[in-house]
Amino acid sequence: MGGEGWLFLFAVLMAAVLLFTMVFFIIMFSDLECDYINPIDLCNKLNQFVLPEMIAHAFLTLCFLLSGQWLAFLLNAPLVGYNVNKIMAKNHMYDATEIFRTLSGHKKESFIKLGFYLVSFFYYLYRMILALISESD
Amino acid sequence: MSQGIMLPQGWEARWDPQSNAYIYVEQSTGRSQWEVPTQPSYGSAPEPSTAPTQSHRPGRRQYPTAQIQQVYGGGGYDSQPQQPQVAPGYADQQQPQYFTPGFGGADAQQPAYGQHQQQQQAPAYGGQPQVYGQQQQLYSGQQQQQPVDQMSNQFQQMNMGYQAGGQQGPGGKRLHQIQTVNLIGMQPDVTGLDSPPPPYLLPDNASVTGSPNVQPDPSYQRCTLTSMPTTQSLLNKSKLPLALVMSPYRSFRENQEGDEPVPVIEDSVIARCRRCRAYINPFVTFIEGGNRWKCCMCGLSNEVPQLFDWNQQENKPADRWSRKELNHSVVEFIAPTEYMVRPPQPPVYAFVIDVSQQAIQSGMVAVAARTILESLDNIPNADNRTKVAIIAVSTSLHFFSLPAGATEASMLVVSDLTDVFLPKPVDLLVNLTESRPALESLLGKLSDMFQDSHSVGNALGSALQAAHQLIGKIGGKIIALTATLPTLGEGALKARDDPKLLGTSKESSLLNAASSFYKTFAIECSKQQVAVDMFLFSTSYTDVATLSCLPRYTAGQTYLYPGFNASRSEDAIKFATEFGKVLAMPMGLEAVIRVRATRGIRMSAFHGNFFIRSTDLLALPVVPTDQNYVIELQLEDDIKGAFVVLQTAILHTTCYGERRIRVITQAMPTTDSISELYASADQVAVATYLTNKAVERSMSHSLDDARNLITNKLGEMLSVYKNQVTSSSGGASAQLAVPDNLKLLPLLCCGLVKHVGLREGGSIPPDLRSYAQALLTTLPCQSLIPFIHPRFYSLHNMSNESGNPNEKGIIQLPLTLNLTSEKLERHGLFLIEDGQNIFLWVGHEAVPRLIQDVFDLPNYQELKGGKSTLPNLDNPFSQRVNNIINKIRESRRGVYKPHLYIVKSDAEPALRSWALSLLIEDRMDHMSSYAQYLTTVKNKVSRVRILNLFESES
Repeated sequence: MGGEGWLFLFAVLMAAVLLFTMVFFIIMFSDLECDYINPIDLCNKLNQFVLPEMIAHAFLTLCFLLSGQWLAFLLNAPLVGYNVNKIMAKNHMYDATEIFRTLSGHKKESFIKLGFYLVSFFYYLYRMILALISESD
Repeated sequence: MSQGIMLPQGWEARWDPQSNAYIYVEQSTGRSQWEVPTQPSYGSAPEPSTAPTQSHRPGRRQYPTAQIQQVYGGGGYDSQPQQPQVAPGYADQQQPQYFTPGFGGADAQQPAYGQHQQQQQAPAYGGQPQVYGQQQQLYSGQQQQQPVDQMSNQFQQMNMGYQAGGQQGPGGKRLHQIQTVNLIGMQPDVTGLDSPPPPYLLPDNASVTGSPNVQPDPSYQRCTLTSMPTTQSLLNKSKLPLALVMSPYRSFRENQEGDEPVPVIEDSVIARCRRCRAYINPFVTFIEGGNRWKCCMCGLSNEVPQLFDWNQQENKPADRWSRKELNHSVVEFIAPTEYMVRPPQPPVYAFVIDVSQQAIQSGMVAVAARTILESLDNIPNADNRTKVAIIAVSTSLHFFSLPAGATEASMLVVSDLTDVFLPKPVDLLVNLTESRPALESLLGKLSDMFQDSHSVGNALGSALQAAHQLIGKIGGKIIALTATLPTLGEGALKARDDPKLLGTSKESSLLNAASSFYKTFAIECSKQQVAVDMFLFSTSYTDVATLSCLPRYTAGQTYLYPGFNASRSEDAIKFATEFGKVLAMPMGLEAVIRVRATRGIRMSAFHGNFFIRSTDLLALPVVPTDQNYVIELQLEDDIKGAFVVLQTAILHTTCYGERRIRVITQAMPTTDSISELYASADQVAVATYLTNKAVERSMSHSLDDARNLITNKLGEMLSVYKNQVTSSSGGASAQLAVPDNLKLLPLLCCGLVKHVGLREGGSIPPDLRSYAQALLTTLPCQSLIPFIHPRFYSLHNMSNESGNPNEKGIIQLPLTLNLTSEKLERHGLFLIEDGQNIFLWVGHEAVPRLIQDVFDLPNYQELKGGKSTLPNLDNPFSQRVNNIINKIRESRRGVYKPHLYIVKSDAEPALRSWALSLLIEDRMDHMSSYAQYLTTVKNKVSRVRILNLFESES
């Protein structure tokens, strides 16, 4: 198995992890809506995962850039830009005092990210298989 | 009747309580109209256009009584002059109900009235004597009620009258009378600002007891609409906001307003619905012979508790129908132990006092210590459990050990600001009664102790953390007093008030917190039931925006004293009075507020000072009195019933160690008609809602957006009204049609966009803006409306009654004037007040006699402008002016004691323009006048209309 195969195998795993993170976020948000968790605990819990998620995604994008996978890189670049912008504006963390006002926005964002990771998961899988096939030829 | 506008000869203005407007009656003919008359009456014959309505005008005296009887087949009108004997004072208010006001040319825009006219003419008369009969019964039976209740009952009864007359909605519901007025070219009638909201027209048998107190006083809770739309799509279509405006922990002032104390249910029989947990209230129904009750919110049938009909004190059966929770809208239950997480905690106060050089020099520490010392007896301490701690802070933290029985306090200094610890496990937080000698000696010399310190710097954040550690186990209140920006330790802040940002779109960043410390710390506090009150004494920038975060999320309050200097006695007295009131204020501890409503209604957003703990639970470590909350409502499902019930429950521990639940129940009729929604809108509540939304928008977006939000919302509402309710057709007309009950909303919106908190322009310091915003979101309606739309009185020519007590000993205020400088006269003495400041405007041609009488100075030239105290002189005029000022200072709920500024009309341009900026009907700098604002709104209305036309055609 060559470099491209390994890269996309890694990408598939990462996408799966990110996917699960988003599912976790969405479950937590609906827990909050149903009053199973209070906003303080929710924010403390979720805030632990916000930066790791962003860093993981940025690292994956960096890997694509370094290995010259332009299409995969361009696919991910907008999200990295969005995340960086949020960190610069210092509103990437969930704020317990505002969470109920912004909850619908957070949920929407998590769903969009979930969809994005799902699409990219299959794309990476496809590219991985493609790489494996071309190698075996 | 009195009225700000001078009427031509022969006209009389009468107040019509139903439409909240003056009606103008020509005395000689009885002809009436809504427009202000311009021509004097010469007793001329009525215009032909009003001929059809003449037939049933009570005021028309040239008809012989016999003829009227003949025509109407009964002594209907004959009996009317007797009315005053039954209900004095109401008779002339009723009159407009029974004749149709003349429509001198306004027919086109008053279609609702047109219908009326027709319906009333034919079948109504037979029913009318009967209607009067009913009213008489009503009055004789209910003489003892509160005026407001009487009023609303009267309204209800009158609407029954209308039912007989044919004004009946589908399904036999009572309807509000809708009355369109045009605003363009009219001076707003500012006296209407104090009038009550439209009545709640509930079905007859809505409440089980029929008690007059089943609806809360508007000062407790009011809704932007007094009838509930049945579907969300109707609400969306109407563009009206739906929100509850409430101050559930309203102060109780027996002697002044005739406030009734909240009835307390002491037998701890608390009947609640098993499913929705609603408390039993006057709107439930009893079924199965009274053994079960049906919840008015979810419809579940519940068992009536066994002891419900039992008087436990006297051990005998009691009358169920006299139970307080079935007769009163606002009640307090004494809660049993199931409602407690822990035994009721004592009230705890931790004072964090800034003792840096600046604070000492301004005299703040001395005044604060003296006020605490003087208030020690007033601090709620009924059962000698109250605990107190004092921490002084500058570059290091100074704790005071106050052991019980000792006469001297010992000071412990901690210089480690990063990792705050308490130097001693005991004697820092002490019982007020036991350690009183030590506390008194400490407070007596606190200011002198730090007199020689030259420490510049303030580790407020660390001190707050220490105070939190100290009282966190019990909960309570931290009162922080600071005269400088916190620059050291945790939560250090920088002066970020860059003047270049002011007036730009980036200004809103200055209204947001600079450091996240204050938010996270606020959450910490809220969790441990600690509230924080902030007293800020700035001479320079203190970042109110950031520091006010703490009170905002812990249900405290921010107080700002700009340029405080205790050597000016006015400053010292103002602070000492307000601080003393805050200390003496009864506290509700460890409180939660939850609003329940009929199924289908959901609380969607919350505004006010508290922490939202779950989707519908508001956590308040301490409930302050007289704070306002706004809760937005949404309709998830269609509403089926004839009325809905909204219930606010506030569970709290009183400072006397009792766990109590205050329940406020309110019922509203439902409607599916858009015109009924408009007729039932409450302008004061709508303005309060818009204020909260705008302040929120100014923080999240920009001040520009916030102002646009107000104007756009207003424009949308009025365009829907114009298109859907009035039948005016086509094109941009020269008129701006508003329902009569919303006719002052444009004025309030105009005041709001010009308010210091939201005003356009780069000259307002961010501290003042933040503080104004904090007030806008917390003041109860009674104080908020004057804060947006100040009161303006003319003193030099006030009537003889003004300033003197009436029969009941209440000081009469002069007539309020429109807020325009047209009213200012060069020789006059005027008073403008917004609840926070009072301006006494002296015209430069004021006669020396006036100056002598009021200020005890020989002439105008000797008079000095600025903050001042008025001398109390031995002449009637001075006493009346002083009476008025005192009355204004006392008349509103809340702790604020407004400063008095003397403004000379030709000196001190800054002060002068500040006072003039309160005259919101005028044009000022580049902000539009009221008339221009109306034109802007009107253009928005026509534009929305054109868009709608496009939509409907495509």
